[in-house]
Amino acid sequence: MSALFEEFDDISELAEGLDDPAPGARIMAIIDLTDSADPAAIPYLAKAISDEDAGVRKQAAQGLTDFDGPETAAALVIALSDTDPAVVEAAAISLKELKDPSAGDSILPHLSDEDEIKLAACFAGIKELRRPETMGPAIAALKHSSDIVRIEAVGVIGWLQDETSLPALRDAAHDATPKVRRTALSALGFSKSEHAEATLIEALNDSEWIVREAAAETLAKTGGAGCVTALRSVLDDEFWQVRLKAVRSLGKLGATEAAMEIGPMMDLPVPNLRKECAAVLGELAVPETAPFLQKYEDDTDPDVRKNVRWALGKMAA
Amino acid sequence: MDEILDGLTQIDCDILVIGGGTAGPMAALKAKRKNPKANVVLLDKANVKRSGAISMGMDGLNNSVIPGYATPEQYTKEITIANDGICDQAAVYRYAQECYGIIEELDEFGIRFQKDENGEYDVKKVHHIGTYVLPMPNGDTVKKALYRQLRKARINIINRYMSTRLLTGEGRVAGAICVNTRTAEFLVVRAKAVIMGLGAAGRLGLPTSGYLMGTYENPTNSGEGYSMAYHAGAGLANLECYQINPLIKDYNGPACAYVAGPMGGYTANAKGERFIECDYWSGQMMQEFYDELQGGKGPVYLKLNHLAEETVSEIERVLHIVERPTRGHFHAGRGTDYRKQMIEMHISEIGFCSGHSASGVFVDEHARTTIPGLYAAGDMANVPHNYMLGAFTNGAFAGLDAADFIADVDFAAFDEGEVEAERNRVLAPTKRDDGIPPNQIEYKTRRLVNDYLQPPKVTAKMELAQKRFEEVRDDMEQGMYVQDSHELMRALEASSILDCADMAAAASLYRTESRWGLYHNRVEYERDNENWFCHTILTKGEDGKPAHRKQDVKPYVVEIADEEKDAYDKQRVDPSVAAE
Amino acid sequence: MPLAQTSTTVPVIVNDDLCIADKGCTVCVDVCPLDVLRIVETDEGNKTAFMKYDECWYCMPCEADCPTGAVTVNLPYLLK
Repeated sequence: MSALFEEFDDISELAEGLDDPAPGARIMAIIDLTDSADPAAIPYLAKAISDEDAGVRKQAAQGLTDFDGPETAAALVIALSDTDPAVVEAAAISLKELKDPSAGDSILPHLSDEDEIKLAACFAGIKELRRPETMGPAIAALKHSSDIVRIEAVGVIGWLQDETSLPALRDAAHDATPKVRRTALSALGFSKSEHAEATLIEALNDSEWIVREAAAETLAKTGGAGCVTALRSVLDDEFWQVRLKAVRSLGKLGATEAAMEIGPMMDLPVPNLRKECAAVLGELAVPETAPFLQKYEDDTDPDVRKNVRWALGKMAA
Repeated sequence: MDEILDGLTQIDCDILVIGGGTAGPMAALKAKRKNPKANVVLLDKANVKRSGAISMGMDGLNNSVIPGYATPEQYTKEITIANDGICDQAAVYRYAQECYGIIEELDEFGIRFQKDENGEYDVKKVHHIGTYVLPMPNGDTVKKALYRQLRKARINIINRYMSTRLLTGEGRVAGAICVNTRTAEFLVVRAKAVIMGLGAAGRLGLPTSGYLMGTYENPTNSGEGYSMAYHAGAGLANLECYQINPLIKDYNGPACAYVAGPMGGYTANAKGERFIECDYWSGQMMQEFYDELQGGKGPVYLKLNHLAEETVSEIERVLHIVERPTRGHFHAGRGTDYRKQMIEMHISEIGFCSGHSASGVFVDEHARTTIPGLYAAGDMANVPHNYMLGAFTNGAFAGLDAADFIADVDFAAFDEGEVEAERNRVLAPTKRDDGIPPNQIEYKTRRLVNDYLQPPKVTAKMELAQKRFEEVRDDMEQGMYVQDSHELMRALEASSILDCADMAAAASLYRTESRWGLYHNRVEYERDNENWFCHTILTKGEDGKPAHRKQDVKPYVVEIADEEKDAYDKQRVDPSVAAE
Repeated sequence: MPLAQTSTTVPVIVNDDLCIADKGCTVCVDVCPLDVLRIVETDEGNKTAFMKYDECWYCMPCEADCPTGAVTVNLPYLLK
């Protein structure tokens, strides 16, 4: 009878396969080491990052996804400079899976690297580790010529949630690339500063709808005095996605003064928008808007109908 | 490999978890953490690394109850309404209260949920009043992350053994009989508690492609859980509430309107018009879909070609990377581009699956079945609409409760004769010189399921089905023939499939009313709240055939107002409010 | 009732030149939920993986997990 249970082998025994002259055998050894889920396997996998065979190196970079800490991160950073793009890609993916803040120790020295792919991967990897030391290099990288790098750098800044980064984020909110602008605007969500709010309000007039959408959504988080007026001004945006986020944000802000403008939007032929309007009218609970909702109490769209009835219930209460 | 060997081994463990897909690994982990001294064995017909419904991953959670976005009360209400009121709310409510803790735990495992640019959870969609959809950007690594946790916790994993029958004695569970899928050797596991997480009965109906394994569910989920629970004497609830899904035609994978819906995609008829307003999968939605096809307004499509380029590429990114990655290949092969064409959809074959409907082994809020020491979780247990997060969460409940249960009991004695009888049953197809191969037994069963059980349900047709199933059973028991141990696995699956087909017919005949839209549309009967506002419980009767009883729906924890009860009833678009 | 031999095309294709079954690799065989892959010796005496049973869910772990990119999953002809 073959072995019944999956085995828990000795790591050093598994690692012997890494000395086999055949690359295939070394790949198999890496897979076994990875499956062990034993941190004792990390040094062996790290060594395999410098194997002469690209397939082995790629497997090692993939295998390191299952581990964490500075040693893992250091090996992955080395792999980012590999001559084979498949190894670089595998290493970049694995870097994003790091969770242990100490892993950042091995990434920090590489945040001023020239190579855009390596730099973007390092920022992406360290973002979720939330290391305060990343702030300086991330702000500097906002000047980088590559928009991939700028997007990742903005991401890092947003996760750090530090008011001192505001000027940098406001600059990024005027970046030439729409995706950088969008990311920067969403990142402003943590800030309670009126400068952040002013930047978001200004972005409601951006030429790209995905940027206006991000601004409308994020204004619900900042919530200062000027937000409501600004959001009301985009309730007639040509993209329903922008209108929807504006309505949602007005609901979150409790902007009862906007209720009479949201009411007539129930008649628009966009199902997602109608659902959102009904829900928000309920949240605002302004009795004068009841007639806009009553028409749709038996709407054929179950989501609209439910939200409408819920909203009317709120007004009655 | 694959030759048929003679062998029988017996092992003991405290908790046997059958099924290493979604619920099973979480059950094993929770039990082991609660009682590190317990010997927990996790057994799978395939390999735990890549087994079960989420073998390739999952693109997101669609029933996450996250504080600030939805409340347990709201969620419980939604699910009760979506399931036509037939719902013991305690299990749903407990799920809703505790699933956020499971999300945080999964996040620690390295399974990521989408966060916004400040690192907070990015809950996407408002499909009802609450917000429940949480995308998973690295959803393709779910199984890997789970596997890593199992290895770290030193859970004993047994791969490539298929359990065929549960053992019972002293009025409780005693273990399970299993067979190796590559050698046909037997393994008897004595256990103080058994947790079943064997997935849906996904190979019940036959896909219209005619390809046996072209099912919506992972075809390894062939209903063993339902069959084993039945033969052990457990109660199964509301099996007539079939799973039927709106899928991409031929590919038979989900169209995922829940991904596309919030971004503006929708289900349309041949003219490109919306005819249903809510793409949330429910029996009523499927009924409208069916009516549209019957009314000559089909085919029905997933419509995305009116959306902005940014939106379409975002939808593609989500849908083509995880859960069913071959979906991109399929569209490429057909030359369909979301930007240009609508995607043809159809109505799936039937199955049992509580993950999307409510047909499952009856369990309470601790995942306990009606047999002491026996638990069930995930798609095979009857907590309605519980999806992947429900499998994780209810699996956790099962593991935690089982860890307590084993503290007070020793192994239950069972009749050794049962093992011998099961060996004879299992090995019978290996003892013949020729006969009917299992794929033909399976094909015929499933073709009959389509012919006679696919709704709308007609009494005379279902009675014919029962007669035909008996003939197939006779052929299976007297004439099935297998050449190797792999085929023997398929033969055992054919037997589970036939058991499920029998149960589907019997359960559907018992409930003499219509409920759950298309799922239980009995053309001769209207809805009848007076007599049928209850669960139906199916058990194995004295005569070895399905027996039935009604069981009261437990008093609600969360009250539902009368005007809310029809929330899923009317779904047809009012032409005067034209869609965009 | 004797059995017939009926041909069928299989969706999973393995590139023998890339497959390292010779080195003891069984990754694709291990991860297949339906257990349809096996290792066989080729005419040249090398080992390679192949699809033995036409029971594919086109789910892709074999392709995704193959360390050398030797496996391609196509859609079964009946539904593509």
